[in-house]
Amino acid sequence: MAVRLEIGWRPELPDAEGETVRRQAREYFGLEMDMVRVLRLLMLDLDLSQEDMEAIRTEVFTHPVTQVSGFKPLARDFDGAIWVGFRPGVRDTAGAVAQEAIEAYLGRSLPAGAGVYTSKLFLFSGGPLDSGKLSQIARELLANDLIQEFRIFARKDWDHETGVGIILPRVHLDHTPTVAVFELESLEALRELSRQRHLALREADLPIIRDYFKRPAVLARRAAVGLKAATDVELEYLAQARSDHCNHNTFRGRFHYRDLESGERLVLDNPFKACIEAPTREIARKKPWVVSVLWDNAGVGQFDADFSYVIKGETHNSPSNLEAYGGSLTGIVGVYRDPLGTGKGAKLIAGLYGFCVGPRDYAGPLKPRLHPRRLLDGVIEGVKDGGNKSGVPTINGALYFDDTYLGKCLVFVGAVGLLPRTVKGEPGAQKAARPGDIILMCGGRVGKDGIHGVTASSEVASPGTPAGHVQIGDPYTQKNMQDFLLEARDQGLITFITDCGGGGLSSALGESAQKAGGIEVWLEQVPLKYQGLDPWEIWVSESQERMVVAIRPENEAFFKNLARKHAVEATVIGRYTDTGVLQVNYQGQACAYIDLSFLEEEFPPWEFDAEWLSAARRLSEPVLGEPADHQGFLLEMLDRPNICSREWITRQYDHEVQGGSVLKPLIGRQAQVPGDAAVLRPRLDSSRGLAVSLALNPAYSRIDTYHMAAVTIDEAVRRLLAVGGSLTHIAGVDNFCWPNVEYDPKGNPDGRYKAAQLVRATWALRDLCLAYEIPLLSGKDSMYVDGLLPGAFGELHRVSGLPTLFFTAVSLLEELTRALTLDWKAPGDLIYLVGQTHPELGGSEFYEMLGYAGVSVPQVHPQEFLVYYRLLEEAGRGQLLASAHGLYRGGLGVHLALASLAAGLGLEVDLSPVAPESPAHVALYAESAGRFLVSVAPSNQARFEKLFNGQPLYRLGEVRRDKTFKINRGRHTLLETSLNTLQAAWQRRFGNLI
Amino acid sequence: MKTENPKTKTENLSARPRALVLYGYGLNCDYETQFAFARAGAEAVRVHASELISGQVSLWDYHLLAVPGGFSWGDDHGAGVILALRLKLALGTALREFIAAGRLVLGICNGFQVLVNLGLLPGFKGREGERLVALIPNDCGNFRDAWVHLKVLPSNCLFTQGLELLELPIRHGEGKFYAPREVLQELADGGQIVIKYATAAGEAAGGKFPENPNGSLMDIAGICDASGRVLGLMPHPEAHITSTQHPTWTLDAETWRRRGEPYPEKAGAGLTFFKNAVEYLRGAVV
Repeated sequence: MAVRLEIGWRPELPDAEGETVRRQAREYFGLEMDMVRVLRLLMLDLDLSQEDMEAIRTEVFTHPVTQVSGFKPLARDFDGAIWVGFRPGVRDTAGAVAQEAIEAYLGRSLPAGAGVYTSKLFLFSGGPLDSGKLSQIARELLANDLIQEFRIFARKDWDHETGVGIILPRVHLDHTPTVAVFELESLEALRELSRQRHLALREADLPIIRDYFKRPAVLARRAAVGLKAATDVELEYLAQARSDHCNHNTFRGRFHYRDLESGERLVLDNPFKACIEAPTREIARKKPWVVSVLWDNAGVGQFDADFSYVIKGETHNSPSNLEAYGGSLTGIVGVYRDPLGTGKGAKLIAGLYGFCVGPRDYAGPLKPRLHPRRLLDGVIEGVKDGGNKSGVPTINGALYFDDTYLGKCLVFVGAVGLLPRTVKGEPGAQKAARPGDIILMCGGRVGKDGIHGVTASSEVASPGTPAGHVQIGDPYTQKNMQDFLLEARDQGLITFITDCGGGGLSSALGESAQKAGGIEVWLEQVPLKYQGLDPWEIWVSESQERMVVAIRPENEAFFKNLARKHAVEATVIGRYTDTGVLQVNYQGQACAYIDLSFLEEEFPPWEFDAEWLSAARRLSEPVLGEPADHQGFLLEMLDRPNICSREWITRQYDHEVQGGSVLKPLIGRQAQVPGDAAVLRPRLDSSRGLAVSLALNPAYSRIDTYHMAAVTIDEAVRRLLAVGGSLTHIAGVDNFCWPNVEYDPKGNPDGRYKAAQLVRATWALRDLCLAYEIPLLSGKDSMYVDGLLPGAFGELHRVSGLPTLFFTAVSLLEELTRALTLDWKAPGDLIYLVGQTHPELGGSEFYEMLGYAGVSVPQVHPQEFLVYYRLLEEAGRGQLLASAHGLYRGGLGVHLALASLAAGLGLEVDLSPVAPESPAHVALYAESAGRFLVSVAPSNQARFEKLFNGQPLYRLGEVRRDKTFKINRGRHTLLETSLNTLQAAWQRRFGNLI
Repeated sequence: MKTENPKTKTENLSARPRALVLYGYGLNCDYETQFAFARAGAEAVRVHASELISGQVSLWDYHLLAVPGGFSWGDDHGAGVILALRLKLALGTALREFIAAGRLVLGICNGFQVLVNLGLLPGFKGREGERLVALIPNDCGNFRDAWVHLKVLPSNCLFTQGLELLELPIRHGEGKFYAPREVLQELADGGQIVIKYATAAGEAAGGKFPENPNGSLMDIAGICDASGRVLGLMPHPEAHITSTQHPTWTLDAETWRRRGEPYPEKAGAGLTFFKNAVEYLRGAVV
């Protein structure tokens, strides 16, 4: 019989989780409550004796000093209660671990059907708690109805004997698995099928697919395996393989670009090939350190004689927008699987994040599914649990607020791995799916998770229906799997490895089958979370924490033994062949039989119209005088959401595990300021460093996406140089997040403009990568950053996100003790500005604060910049620099303040040489690219200035002994304040968040 | 291997004591802990927890057991609880015999949580194996990564000899040291409170955030058992083995540069814990 075990903190102990809920309820809803306590509930669906139950309670689940527990309701004094538990089928890691612990304690396995389900009971005391308020807390703070259920109890309704009762989110599917077949008589039939099954097949693909199944040769060979008409497994496979997600149809599309001003027309065929692949191949020929690029799950660069590094960036926008915590958690844990599935498998050494959300204090009329504040809290927490519980340091990240991300948030996640150059004598970066190798699925089991992604969210859920479309990642299971796979790799067992992510087995096996030349899959062998899945569901399920590995058949026993040591499930589910066919069987009967060559055939490219109107024709410069109160202005700038301190996020992330974080994400003594880039020591026994930078500048997209992308890449490069990176080795990762670029007169009337924005950004990517010689080791595009939001009167608004490029860059430091940080080091040091300041305020934080976009967007001049970038690198190598810092969003004024805050040392500078023809606010806040702020010891002044002879170098002043921060322009003092005042402004907004 | 001790008191200790560093099931500071022991002169071996639990690996082949940081079994039922349960079920009293035989145990972060749930700490005389103290969620309500100042109290703890003030990072969500008053008193009286959170000047943190980052009672960051051979602490000594792991090392590097000298990577304060253990084991008849 099932029982409910309740566990809570002893009343005299604080309840930190409850206190957090109390704080959030105050911040979110203005609700003042005296106390919130949280009980953990375990629904034990086990057939055990009372003695066993009691022993489990005391010996396993209750700490004698701090906790109380019982099988009767513990709740006594409260005014309202909310129970929150998972819906059936949602991954409950704590429940699974509890069951494992019970089995260990009892010394025997529990019978099939036994289950442990965890949930929480929140108890509220004090405050005006009617059922409406409780329901608001439940819906908008504690539970997400996509994955969780909640129940509300008023005190008067509380039964002290039964409490919340017994709630068992068992999955029971009363369904006999079947394979459906479809006679594709007409295009209309296929079109209708695509609509019904959410296949999202393109119109142009329909006749090609239909005709394939009518070819006589195909029919004959299908008949030999007992197949006639197309099956659901096959159509799902083709839909996955042809989806924008897997095939990148947008980036491989044909863009008809027209400049509306000049009338110039041109066609950009396949931006991926033209602007990413071709430049990368060209650069890779010159850069022997490029080990592997453009084919594997992630790109590989050489680190030293023994190791390579692997890097990948991903975005997980749509899932995070629905369920923030689960979306970002599956995102970060998912991107870890890319380096793990690259070459013969890389060890994870770093994680990255980037969040773009609506304003945290948004109070406007639009009603996104999750308020940006809750959404942000959720995505932060997802990366926290994903990173921290995986033992991977989260070394760098970004947060950007803009109203346009109300439509859909962006959640960027990145991963860096370390891969041996050779594994048992074979190149570590190589892998090959070979005919004869057996295929194993390792890690988690398969359920109805993530089938068809978000389309399922519109389907009606009934009790017992697994809530599959939104998932909760399980870093614990994946950590075990990673430990296991790295040992299997070092034993030389792995011939091929890839991750099982979007598209599930269909995608992982389909793609690897292309490499091997054929595959045979036995779907009934796939371990399931629960029975009743149709074969097509097993085939496309996106259940997390899985990898697909190929090994030689003779190594099966060895491999499985190793898996057992690590408590990882590994199951043979098929083998690679040389038949040229993808054959999927279920219970011995073929349910898919497709020629692999079919997907290589000419599917027509997607076509897009792109229309561009130059910024000068669309926008104008504001007419604006110089502020009289420069001090007030700077303080206001430092308080801006996109400028101010976000230390609270960084502190939640373990950024030091593995012991290699040489330059951590926060730098400084007085205040903790974000550094330019992280520097890692991937091998503790070597003094070589790996620098990783991240940049994004979506605001410039309002003016011209070419310059948005160009400045972003330049920024990522400067961030590397500022910490001591080298121009000879810079690798890049491009992650595009774009609104829908397909014109539709009603649904997307500005689609042609957005398509032109995409074309221009890819041009900038090509130009800048060629100029700076950056091969793109990895990248990803994520389209459809649009949302439909109800307004104040229930009317729907389409909100499209700003076109955004996350650019990640990597460089090497030969000697990490020469790494540089941005903080001034000593009083009396000379402060220099390197690079020209132009009147480029377009898209700047300065304009944004005043409500303008402007048109004078910063521009990048790589050939000019590179001359002194090289000198700067030389100055660093020659140990002439005491500090170095790039100038980014906010401009010189903001970044002078940050360097001073990090040092706890004031300064006095004269901005006369900076943009001398322009008003002071241009000198202070223009965001011109190509600039650095460096400080130099007086003893190095002559050598340093000589080195930069003829280059744009401006001595601005010096570091002070005290905390006075003084900026002059000629004889005028623009502002004079103290570091404490600056710090208060910079930390005010989010300083009380933890 | 429950209570058998095939090799007790018979081993002739070589110059390199053997340290067992546990890994697997969500532990994740195993590599850098192994590195720290190796740098201190030990022969450090990563051993999967399942190998120790199944008996494939014998504790008695090692002179020191280190349980490093991480999230064992996901930590969802109280940090360190499940790993402690599994070790207790598998090893029985062998761990206590291991300690009684003069060998050492070090628990860092999640490892500390495991040791208190095993009852190896505080390990009062006559109450060995009892769970008397706990590490509960931080008062700040969240996981926190920050460097802290620590004051080492005089004690017989062999890991902390020679240390007074030092800096290490804390990286945990459940690090608030809690015990009933009488247990705290007994810990203090017995000299078992060995490391406390402090201000930069070495004054008591006095429970104040962020100097005391989690609300630990009496600012306790680490305790040892009565023998001084078992230490558990929340801060990470293995994360301060070299000077470039310290958050403001570039300032130090610049002062060397100005003296015209290349910056030498120096030993970090955390290395002392490991060196002390190795030196003790070298001198001890185990």
